[in-house]
Amino acid sequence: MYDVKAKKVKMKIGQLWENFGLLFLFVVVVIIFSILSPTFRTYYNFANNFRFSSLIGIGAIGMTFCIMSGDFDISIGSMLALVAVIGSSLIPKIGGIGGVLSTIAIASFLGFVNGVFIAKLKIPAFITTLGMLFVFRALAFIYTNNTPVYIQDKFWLFMGNGKVYGIPFAVIVMVICYLSAFLLLRKSPFGRYIIAIGTNKRAAMLSGINVDNVKIIIFTLLGFFIGVASVVTSANLGSANPGLMGQGYEFQVITAVVLGGTSLKGGNGSIGGAFIAAMILTYFKNGLGLLQVSSYWQYIAVGLILILAVTLNRIKYTLLGQVEV
Amino acid sequence: MIKFLKLYEKFGIFIFIVVGAIVLSIASPHFLELNTILNIITQGTYAAIIGFGMTFAITSGGFDLSVEAVMGLTSVFLAILIPVVGIPSAIVISLVIASSVGLINGLIITKLDVNPFITTLAMMTIIRGVSLLVAGGRQIVISEKSFMTIGTGKLLGIPVPIYITMVLFIIFYLILYHTPFGRHVSAVGSNENSARISGLNVNLVKIAVFVLISFTAGVAGTIRTSQTLIGIPTMAPGFVLIVITVTVLGGTSLSGGRGNLWGTLFAGIFISMIYYGLNLLGVQIFYQMLSVGLVLIFALFIDGIRTKYLEKIKAKGIKV
Repeated sequence: MYDVKAKKVKMKIGQLWENFGLLFLFVVVVIIFSILSPTFRTYYNFANNFRFSSLIGIGAIGMTFCIMSGDFDISIGSMLALVAVIGSSLIPKIGGIGGVLSTIAIASFLGFVNGVFIAKLKIPAFITTLGMLFVFRALAFIYTNNTPVYIQDKFWLFMGNGKVYGIPFAVIVMVICYLSAFLLLRKSPFGRYIIAIGTNKRAAMLSGINVDNVKIIIFTLLGFFIGVASVVTSANLGSANPGLMGQGYEFQVITAVVLGGTSLKGGNGSIGGAFIAAMILTYFKNGLGLLQVSSYWQYIAVGLILILAVTLNRIKYTLLGQVEV
Repeated sequence: MIKFLKLYEKFGIFIFIVVGAIVLSIASPHFLELNTILNIITQGTYAAIIGFGMTFAITSGGFDLSVEAVMGLTSVFLAILIPVVGIPSAIVISLVIASSVGLINGLIITKLDVNPFITTLAMMTIIRGVSLLVAGGRQIVISEKSFMTIGTGKLLGIPVPIYITMVLFIIFYLILYHTPFGRHVSAVGSNENSARISGLNVNLVKIAVFVLISFTAGVAGTIRTSQTLIGIPTMAPGFVLIVITVTVLGGTSLSGGRGNLWGTLFAGIFISMIYYGLNLLGVQIFYQMLSVGLVLIFALFIDGIRTKYLEKIKAKGIKV
């Protein structure tokens, strides 16, 4: 009798945590830094951070799909830089809109290549993408001869800095991406395939899902979102730098996805969680920067957050009774 | 075909080395000089040394991305400790610190049950942060000249790092193939559940493996520091890719359970040959990055085909 009661309480805590834990964490972060730093609590800083959170946030969508299906991609930081330099160097030839579209197309193609390697050759995703991390970065260097590409095209810059009725366009892009990703994940067969593969790959295969193709599509989608993020990021910076752009990006994105509640074991995941987690990370970093905490401590903090996030997830799923202890 | 695959797994790397050597000796008249060859081998030792540890990690089904950060940490502590406690104790303390990183990795992976990939990815950033913090963000110059012997000294005409590598190789070889612990590592890598059920202390094996790999990273960091006499907190960025390339190219299967230490040793030398060859051509460092990435993907490609083929054979009921 007691056991059942205890289990119910545990489930309640787990559910509360799942529904409101992240929002609570976000509020705590905002309150703490607002007290500590006067600059942090200005409206300008707040709105700006919201815009910056789209850089991690957009990439986190694709990564959520990827981790939910039980894989990783750590080549995205280098991919971000590579497609940005290629796309922006094409602007003089095909114009801003063409540049943006080709950036996204190239990124999708690179994601497709990753997916083919992983699905067809059965190479573990993280090792394939580890190799690609270096290949993409090297190609970015070689393509530009290690000089940044400056972007002057209006349409491209609008993607990162423009405003529609006072709302940053980057945020609008992010919201559109999130809405379509949410529909894709929760309302389409494809979303269910992802969850099925992440939960039990063999069962998914036996029940007739073409696992290889779904995986390839997941990595192509991830590439697509990285393409969008690449345009927004380079527009924000006003240039595409082959060496500096996207350094550590994969790390931030994976942290956001895991902090957002997606289980590393696959199957369980949350698109909305990734969104809030991206905001938490952006505000947190901004707060530390405003308090002039040395960047070395920031390295340590981000690493600790990642390990903590994974552990918390595990506890949460244990409370919800979804993990065998 | 099975025989061929088995032969390839054991000796495939030698084909690469022979082809590489022929190409290089045609391209450069200096290649066949003793000094050049010793140089190439010496440069290959770092990757090979950490590769020994990585061979253990991958054989046990694990993985370690934090090795390059551990190299930097060792380097910083050496630079700080040598003026205070002298060279021998500084080396011992630094290696203990390096190994303790592995202990932390192992504890997080086994006790908190966090994926090894994520754990070591996070530890990589944390350890980089710690190294930068300890060093104050600067590179620290070591004034003790005699420390240089470890990295650049010669004994009977052969550089010291080669001796260190040989000693480590013999020790690791004996551990992996001739002790119960080595068999336990393979068992955990082939099938963790059955290893656990048959009474192995899986957690202990895993922790020991991560301590070993961090130790090897510490040794490589020590040799590298002594060659330049500078403690560098951000030592060798991206080196982990080379280590993994060396291990996989050497024939250690990513699916776990089968490690190939000979392969790792010679793959280290092969990668060093590629670097020498590219230097010879005078290409920029980006092309070296590109080539290592491509070699890794090629090695994975072969590994993938091999695994696929073996699975097919097993499905037919033929014993491999």
